[in-house]
Amino acid sequence: MDISIFSFILVIILFLIVIESVRRGILETKYSLLWIITCLFMGFFSISETFINRLGRLLGVFYPPSLLFLFGLLFVIILVFDLTRRISKLNKAMVNLTQEYSILKKKLEEKE
Amino acid sequence: MNQNQLENLKVLIIVPAYNEEEAIGLTIEGLLRLRSQMPGLDICVVNDGSKDHTADIVRQYSEVVLLDLPNNLGIGGAVQTGYKYADYNGYDIAVQFDADGQHSAKELETIISPVAEGMCDMCIGSRFVEKTDYSGSPFRRMGIFYFERLIRAMSGQRITDPTSGFRAVNRDVILLFSEAYPSDYPEPEVIIYLRRKKKRIEERAVQMHSRQGGESSITPFKSMYYMAKVTLSIVMQRLVGGRA
Repeated sequence: MDISIFSFILVIILFLIVIESVRRGILETKYSLLWIITCLFMGFFSISETFINRLGRLLGVFYPPSLLFLFGLLFVIILVFDLTRRISKLNKAMVNLTQEYSILKKKLEEKE
Repeated sequence: MNQNQLENLKVLIIVPAYNEEEAIGLTIEGLLRLRSQMPGLDICVVNDGSKDHTADIVRQYSEVVLLDLPNNLGIGGAVQTGYKYADYNGYDIAVQFDADGQHSAKELETIISPVAEGMCDMCIGSRFVEKTDYSGSPFRRMGIFYFERLIRAMSGQRITDPTSGFRAVNRDVILLFSEAYPSDYPEPEVIIYLRRKKKRIEERAVQMHSRQGGESSITPFKSMYYMAKVTLSIVMQRLVGGRA
């Protein structure tokens, strides 16, 4: 099987998983946006042979489908960076909640 | 300083504690003894999700405020809880005090007085302003020296003991800390943060003891991370004026 078609099938499967996760409420819609964009781009890159070949020639890439790796990796980096940012935000919220909780608990104990 | 002035001020001693069951009892008793002379003084222990009996021991002292964190936030998050408590309950002065017995209750007035008299916004108890009998490991001393140089280069003020966790702050700074406080290893970073906010920082010589129990939060393994993290956050504060 041609690598382009193989990658395209993989991207389609990923896309279906993303959509299904949103439908079931496992993945929040706003977080799915980046994934959907990733899938659309990767799907387009892998199926459109003329585009990837032209781009390959433009960038002086000997084997154009290897561009898929480049873009795949780029998206992974963006996704991971996005994740670490979200974790930082969550952590901040968690710290704040923990602190406020302990102060409220103290207040409650005083009333009892 | 005159005694009346101190009596009118509400002072909160913040004692962050993580797995300090061996030392916390003695620390609290030392502080309670002092409290009998200074009625405006309240003691607040922040139990940072300890896995041992720290919280149970603190509960035996009914006059001590216990803030019991359900999970471990690290020293920054624990201390900030104390500052938030001081903020919400209208304290004039807050003092950070280690649970492990390194700090001496007798020295509290030394660092509270300059803040109470309005000479500075934060007063740090330093081991190195004058010669004291403190002797940390050579590695530890090297680290302290490094931070002293870094802070002098970044803020223009010489702080002889930037890692000291023995500090008193006034109401202005309590409000700032309640709002934002650095995580992980906050002591040196806080100095830069306050300098940026145009707060006055002073040091007073204090005696410190060696630890009476528990383990230092900084193991040799962690010191490399410690250096890197603090350097980065100090430089960041300077470059982009980052939040605490």
